[in-house]
Amino acid sequence: MGTDVAELFIVVTVIAVALIFDYTNGFHDSANAMAGPIATGAIRPRTAVILGAFLNLVGACLSTAVAKAISGGFFDDQLITASIILAGLVGAIVWNLMTWLFGLPSSSSHALFGGLIGAVIVGAGIASVHGWVIVSKVLLPAIVAPLVAGVAAAWATRLAYRITRRTPSVHTGTGFKYGQAFTSSMVALAHGTSDGQKTMGVITLVLIAANLQAAGTGPQMWVIMISALAIGLGTYSGGWRIMRAMGKGIVEIETPQGAASGAATSATILASAHLGFGLSTTHVSTGSILGSGVGRGAEVRWSVARRMVFAWLLTLPGAALVGGLAALLADQGVWGISVLLVLLAGICLAIYSLSRRHRITHANVTDSHEVLVLPAATPPTYAGEALLEAPNKPKKVKKPKLKSAA
Amino acid sequence: MHIDWAALGVVAVVSIAASLIFTTLLASGIRLVSAAKIKSNEGGSGTTTVFSLGYLSLGIAALIVLFRIYLIIPQFH
Repeated sequence: MGTDVAELFIVVTVIAVALIFDYTNGFHDSANAMAGPIATGAIRPRTAVILGAFLNLVGACLSTAVAKAISGGFFDDQLITASIILAGLVGAIVWNLMTWLFGLPSSSSHALFGGLIGAVIVGAGIASVHGWVIVSKVLLPAIVAPLVAGVAAAWATRLAYRITRRTPSVHTGTGFKYGQAFTSSMVALAHGTSDGQKTMGVITLVLIAANLQAAGTGPQMWVIMISALAIGLGTYSGGWRIMRAMGKGIVEIETPQGAASGAATSATILASAHLGFGLSTTHVSTGSILGSGVGRGAEVRWSVARRMVFAWLLTLPGAALVGGLAALLADQGVWGISVLLVLLAGICLAIYSLSRRHRITHANVTDSHEVLVLPAATPPTYAGEALLEAPNKPKKVKKPKLKSAA
Repeated sequence: MHIDWAALGVVAVVSIAASLIFTTLLASGIRLVSAAKIKSNEGGSGTTTVFSLGYLSLGIAALIVLFRIYLIIPQFH
């Protein structure tokens, strides 16, 4: 009797925490599709996140295939238990929130794998993790994705400007904005189909392990619905800090450049999904924006780009660390899990209140390129820049008057 | 464990080629339609070919979008 209640408690907890992860996955990756069109004004911020949320939701509902192996080959599937999943999810959530706070786009899949790996190391020792898989599935793609997408975007951008160099910007503006809206929508849809099933897979696995569902069956309807809803809501919430970092932080995005980078992002994501070399949506999108900036000959903020790459490399070990610590608690049964939940809630609240110090919303997302965190941090004024802008250029006036392209 | 360099190469080539083709079609379409519009505004004649060429390349770009949607939705294949 007692064990039944304990088991049910764990199942319910894992489902709840999995949905929280799904939500953070949504808002963390909202920018992958929509940072470009928001930055160029192709789609207004609010419309963009509504569109992105809807497409993610539809995509998640479409992909009813169970995620094949939740372990991703990083370790033996038999090592997976409910408490390891729980600890892994906690690691991924905390990492996602931290990187969001600092405006760093990092891969949610890597965060989830990292959290699980940390939990497995605590449970079964470091020898149970296949180190080579980390190199081939995390390190290499983190370098390859921005390179491939970046080269594609750079050439595409150069072409776009070359072809339309005599075309008046009134005409290129509208045309490229439509192009950008379509490519971004495809990225959002593809994201829903790939990332929606992660959470469904986790929940289904736990239900099967608890004998609440027959082995070998796919996700149940309610699991599909709530997972799709969670990722859609997360996307709708926008993750505006990451949106600003990607859309404004790396480089200023002009309209033709935005369309070229959108074309590169959607092409690369689809090629990697169908031709067998998995790349992270986040890394591809960031690489495209970076490459498009290089292709246009714009001033790229390499320091921002470098920080993002460091964040990618740290995602797996960082989430593993949190996941490992969480596993120490999750292994202690009901009281340990309760403490873990309280801690998780505390960390979420703390990060959220820190983010309120310099809030970024749909209203101010394109006003600046900086994502500030510290209470003392005020937007620095650079001597040179102040001089350049001395004639009081009305910067924030831009109330987007374009009708939505969607 | 091994690294699938062949798959990596294919992904790189296809990604770059697909991006360039799509961008070329979109940009050419925009350029041609714009040129035709300007010409017909100025009262020039013979813009039909330019218009239709422009819309043709925009149309092919739209077909690519449709093909990509087909690729994304698992129920189709």
